[in-house]
Amino acid sequence: MSIKNLSRRRFLKTTAVVGGGLVVGFSLFGLSDEPLPVVTEPGGLVPNAFLQFTADNRIIFYCPRDEMGQGVMTGLATVIGEELDVSPHSMEIVHCEVHSDYANPAMGIQVTGGSTSINAHYMPLRQVGADTRALILAAAAKDLNASLGELNTEDGQVLYQGQTYPYGRFIATAREMDPVTGAPLRRQSEFRYIGQLSRRTDALAKVTGQADYGLDARVEGMQYAVLVRSPVFGAQLLSYDDSAVLRRPGVTAVVAISNGVAIVADSYWHARDAASQLSVQWEDTPRSSLTSEQQRFELIAALDSDDEATAVDEGDIQLGLADARAQIEGEYWTPYLAHAPMEPMNALVRLGDNDAEIWLGIQSAQAAQNLVSRVSGIPTENIVVHNLFLGGGFGRRGVATHVVEATEIAMAVGTPIKLMWSREDDIQSGFYRPASIARVRAAVDSNGVISAWDVKRAGGDITPGTIKNLLPAIFPSLPTGLANGVSSTVGFLFSNLSPDSSSVEGLHENYNLTNVQVKNSSIDHGVPVTFWRSVGHSNNAFVTESAMDELAIAADLDPVELRLKNTGDNPRLNNVIRIAGERMREMQLPDGHHLGFASHGSFLTDVAQVAQVSVEAGKIRVHKVLCVVDCGLAVNPDIVRTQMEGGIIFGLTAALYGELTLEAGRVKQSNFHDYPMLRMDEAPEIVVIIVDSKTEPTGVGEPSVPPIAPAVANAVFRATGQRLRDLPLRLVV
Amino acid sequence: MIEFSLNGESVRTDVDPNTPLLWVVRDVFGLTGSKFGCGAGLCGACTMHVDEVAQRTCILPLSAVAGKRIKTIEGLGDVENLHPLQQAWIEHSVPQCGYCQSGQLMSAAALLDQNPNPTPAQIDQAMSGNICRCGTYPRIKQAIQAAALAYDATAKEGA
Repeated sequence: MSIKNLSRRRFLKTTAVVGGGLVVGFSLFGLSDEPLPVVTEPGGLVPNAFLQFTADNRIIFYCPRDEMGQGVMTGLATVIGEELDVSPHSMEIVHCEVHSDYANPAMGIQVTGGSTSINAHYMPLRQVGADTRALILAAAAKDLNASLGELNTEDGQVLYQGQTYPYGRFIATAREMDPVTGAPLRRQSEFRYIGQLSRRTDALAKVTGQADYGLDARVEGMQYAVLVRSPVFGAQLLSYDDSAVLRRPGVTAVVAISNGVAIVADSYWHARDAASQLSVQWEDTPRSSLTSEQQRFELIAALDSDDEATAVDEGDIQLGLADARAQIEGEYWTPYLAHAPMEPMNALVRLGDNDAEIWLGIQSAQAAQNLVSRVSGIPTENIVVHNLFLGGGFGRRGVATHVVEATEIAMAVGTPIKLMWSREDDIQSGFYRPASIARVRAAVDSNGVISAWDVKRAGGDITPGTIKNLLPAIFPSLPTGLANGVSSTVGFLFSNLSPDSSSVEGLHENYNLTNVQVKNSSIDHGVPVTFWRSVGHSNNAFVTESAMDELAIAADLDPVELRLKNTGDNPRLNNVIRIAGERMREMQLPDGHHLGFASHGSFLTDVAQVAQVSVEAGKIRVHKVLCVVDCGLAVNPDIVRTQMEGGIIFGLTAALYGELTLEAGRVKQSNFHDYPMLRMDEAPEIVVIIVDSKTEPTGVGEPSVPPIAPAVANAVFRATGQRLRDLPLRLVV
Repeated sequence: MIEFSLNGESVRTDVDPNTPLLWVVRDVFGLTGSKFGCGAGLCGACTMHVDEVAQRTCILPLSAVAGKRIKTIEGLGDVENLHPLQQAWIEHSVPQCGYCQSGQLMSAAALLDQNPNPTPAQIDQAMSGNICRCGTYPRIKQAIQAAALAYDATAKEGA
């Protein structure tokens, strides 16, 4: 340990790769010199961006990542608490505001996503915890006139000669001392909280109705707004007649903004009720006649075109096919999907003369702040983002266009505005998981080795649109014209010059492949697309793992053996396949039940699943799912289990029901009656096995989603002989 | 002016009687534990008890509850005095994002009030009106079964 006069105000810059390859400079973790957005309580100590010790002995943890259900508050409090020696249940845990110290170390900007939170903060937050504990101990040694060797700690208390002293006792002295850096970290064998703790820290608030979400925020003088948007994506407003709307009770204003016509009223109900009376004309665009059939036709045509970008091209496909003992070919379809978080989008914006506040739950608080600044001209340093609990995220709350809408309305009417989306807005005006089609040609040789793997995928790409949204959000002062120019230039790079990694991820990486080709054809149908829980893996594991099953059947090989044989270079995946395969052989099946197997690695985590399925009266029923996961060291094993369970159910909704279709350029579905979700009576029993591991923790929010759809499809084939290559899975009757 | 009982207290309001109860409870009386999910009675996030029956309040006009007893999550139990279901929810780590859980708990409480010892099929049936996008169904089911056992034990002690 070193206690030196080392300033933490250093400007070490490094780079990070975001999404499809955007390189962003950022300060090293927790080392910025901008003032912290933390209100120091009287007599309190704020040793860094993440912690405050108060005079009344509370310890506040400013959680740098956003709690959307994945358990990140509990998880990161466990990580920092391990080294600080404070139980997560002894801390007050709050969302941080916006500051460069809170940038996601994996991305360089303040974003929560990509199942990165635990992995990216595991070492940095432990170091912050250890250094802070060392500082408290140094202060305690001084105050108690003791040597460091005589002191110990336990759950926020310093122990000395049989007495306990809360950390808060030493903060006055600690404030005058130099910060500590490089304090030693605990050995895994000494962990008190990591790998041990199970209960979530936010459960009590969430079962008593006390947890605050964006929906629950209020501010003096606020009005409610709803927005009528074009039903066809990107169509401009031509004219509107608000006379009937203005006669409705409670309505105070109708204003046109960049993205539609806003109805402002004294309550949400009045605004929503009046919106149905708005008469509005939108321009006709080439998209106004688009249908899902036409889209699919165009994607299939793209498979046959050579307008494409190559992700991988190794070996010789023809040679591999010539060697084949068995060969398969198939086209796999995955549709557009909405995220449908239970809390529809909302944002409360208060604009002052040169300051602003915004209340919402968001995966990208920094983007929200920058967008308010960009629209209002108020400098970012005067804009406070109150990030509240997220009523589900799944990627949808990484996009902040609703913040722009709320800010524009607030500017137009001059009062604080709470903009609320309806469920219909969420399903019809949202951002979606792209639809895609993939054609696979694959072969296996007489040794059971995959001898050819040739995939072409066509569909919408996420990265160009994300960059278009991200650029103004990262650089609020970049003029609009320039931002648009840069966006279209960067976007152009993805139009089949370079494949979008989000589109091709999961199409080839899991297996040892010598003759392999993966290509992507980028087709933009003008439908806004974004990251959807597990992103490209959600489409592509269905492709890969269905094709693997077909290959095994064609070659008369056991599907587990085929995977084991071809994952030798990927020992972690190989191991979860082996464990799940052994359990699969032991499963006792009632008559009419069948098993399907799938495995997939994503977000540095490996998962294998077995689905136990029956088909009764033409309906697919999933009775049980076995899930084996290797996510490195499980910081909170029970949260890992709940994320596996939740991801499987999220993926099952997509496998059995999930589909958005377009008619006349409009999304046909509108609410849960025609965009159904899996319900309790359809939820399977789920058994999760976590592989014991001491390696650094990896992602758990997403990796259980990708394998479930192919596991079920593979079981359905065994039950019925029908190979379903389209999602959602629909039996031919 | 419409009067009703809200978590045991008599309340009155003169807001538009067509306003769904959900918005009256949230915006007029400031109890924000009940949530908005679909506005069409399809997801259950807004579930409250109306005279002891679980109802979807996003489509229930204020005029329909005149003189009735309304119970929300805030009236089910509080931090000092948790309902056995809230206790079971914590012990089984049910909530993820938590947004739907007020509605889930109110549906579960109405079930146990009517049937303290439900079978798994009866739990499925009673809870299938409540959507959870995070996929907490297996935990909800475990928690209801555990709370039912606690109910049962309490009943036997009392006997």
